[in-house]
Amino acid sequence: MSDSRPPSGAAPSTRPTWTVVGVLLAVGAVVPLLVWMYDSETPALGGFPFFYWFQFLLIPIVSGLTFLAFKLSENATARDRAARRKQSTSGGSR
Amino acid sequence: MNDINWVELSIFLFFFLLVTVMGFLASRWRRASALDNLDEWGLGGRGFGTFVTWFLIGGDIYTAYTFVAVPALLYAGNMVGFFAVPYTIVLYPIIFVFLPRLWSVSHRHGYVTPADFIRGRFDSKPLALAVAITGILATMPYIALQLVGIQVVLEVMGIGGQGDSWLAKDIPLFIAFAVLAAYTYSSGLRAPALIAFVKDTLIYIVIIVAVIYIPIQLGGWDVIFGSARDSFNSFNADNADAIAAGAASPKGLVPVEALHWAYASLALGSALALFMYPHSLTGVLASASRNVIRRNAALLPAYSFLLGLLALLGFMAVAAGIQVDNAQMAVPELLREMFPPWFAGVAFAAIGIGALVPAAIMSIAAANLWTRNIYKAYLNTEATPAQEAKQSKLISLVVKFGALFFVLGLPSDFAINLQLLGGVWILQTFPAIVFGLYTRWFHRYALLAGWAVGMAYGTWTAYLVEVPGDPGSHFGGSLAVVPFTEDVKGYIALTAFVINLLVAVVLTLAFRALKVPAGQDHTVPEDYKADAGDEGVEDLDVDELSTDTPTR
Repeated sequence: MSDSRPPSGAAPSTRPTWTVVGVLLAVGAVVPLLVWMYDSETPALGGFPFFYWFQFLLIPIVSGLTFLAFKLSENATARDRAARRKQSTSGGSR
Repeated sequence: MNDINWVELSIFLFFFLLVTVMGFLASRWRRASALDNLDEWGLGGRGFGTFVTWFLIGGDIYTAYTFVAVPALLYAGNMVGFFAVPYTIVLYPIIFVFLPRLWSVSHRHGYVTPADFIRGRFDSKPLALAVAITGILATMPYIALQLVGIQVVLEVMGIGGQGDSWLAKDIPLFIAFAVLAAYTYSSGLRAPALIAFVKDTLIYIVIIVAVIYIPIQLGGWDVIFGSARDSFNSFNADNADAIAAGAASPKGLVPVEALHWAYASLALGSALALFMYPHSLTGVLASASRNVIRRNAALLPAYSFLLGLLALLGFMAVAAGIQVDNAQMAVPELLREMFPPWFAGVAFAAIGIGALVPAAIMSIAAANLWTRNIYKAYLNTEATPAQEAKQSKLISLVVKFGALFFVLGLPSDFAINLQLLGGVWILQTFPAIVFGLYTRWFHRYALLAGWAVGMAYGTWTAYLVEVPGDPGSHFGGSLAVVPFTEDVKGYIALTAFVINLLVAVVLTLAFRALKVPAGQDHTVPEDYKADAGDEGVEDLDVDELSTDTPTR
């Protein structure tokens, strides 16, 4: 998950951000697989049994989590890259 | 047998021809300097932005799979039929995590296929070969599903299906495929990319009309779910003896507890498998930057939402009283019944083209695998770019014929089982590819052994699954009892994957203890984070491709 872990010594660390990204994504990937949570026909909504409308509801929720993760990762990646660039200019060539 | 409706057929043919002409014109679109170069033909020059990439990935999701195969499961009262929705939901977080890394390392090293990456990462020709062969093999039944989709549409329109000889029955299928093959052959990935716009526009119109108009006509969602429930309950009551004897499966709206793992494992297994397919990766690698991928992961829900509504067309067919022997004909029959002929023609065109486009993308990607990782790696190491492109074009035809073999040779009453069989195979490349993106801990030979065991277990287990009510038949489904459990059924692909992983871990420990050479890693950690504009990115000259740099 820590796709762009910063080099040691880089400040401020983006690690907390990456952890949040990881948690957001893990929730999105695991909850839809917990079938026992939603294997019921009731309560129905607009004619849809619970089983069906709940899964439709999961789509925007997981999408929202993923979008949030995207925004956070965009920011963290930019900071990681800035830190790496700084380090490589002071620390020699690749 | 249905009579031909000429209005319907004319509209269908109009769109079909439109798409074919566009395919030929596509070779001129954003014309690249050299289309004879494999990179150009197969990856469209890798310059696609968010919008085009979104359409391309959509092309992988809205196929005959969504229009025909999944609704057929619901029509038949299969309790796990709706798994396609959680499948596409858990897909976004999964894509988000590993695909950007794959994009980066591929662009740094000029990798066009997963096997390229494996060879660079693990320095192992046999492992790369295993990945390449699996990709080609697994793509065939997936294309086969698309073929079944076209076949079903043509049959409902009254074309084909008549006569006793298999030739008379399948001629329309061969015609459709000849057209597909011709434009794929002439213009590569650009053809499906451009056609995806037409296809997706058609599909969105059809879906939106269908999911608003049909429920109103049928009296609302209450009535639709209610009729499906009544129909399934009366089936269960009428067939109580057969169900008790195991000769028939009970029907229902919601999976019973014993099928929870089946439902979840089908969703998870399918999601993990999707981006192991060479065609999915082609679309990803064709995107312009790694951010495009993550943005897309958040944009995909528009697709899943409609996928779910489309799946429910299966229940609508039950509610509308559609009676068909082949459940896959239920949705086309429903559309024909509910819509005026001209709109039914539009809908059938959407389904038909929706099957053709992914079939084109899949066959191109499988052909790329062949050319780079088998032909050029073993058969003709000195191949010129023109020879490579020629090989890819030929093999993309061969793969399509391989798909025909699957349609004709395996039970195709529920074509989704063909796609799920492909998933059983392709998922066995997951440990090497995805874990390989993060770590070199796994030993190359341990991964190879894990792959072999997973393939053997998965294939054998799938072979033993009987079609319900047909003892002694094979490849009748994708679920099997999970080892060490009494009656928990799960998707074979995921069980095989776990076995694969266990073998890989145990043997890695053994090989490491024995100090078996692990090979040299040609990648460095920074490769997995590189983005467009970075040093080395898009320099495709690295080692494999000593040809023109693609134009942007």
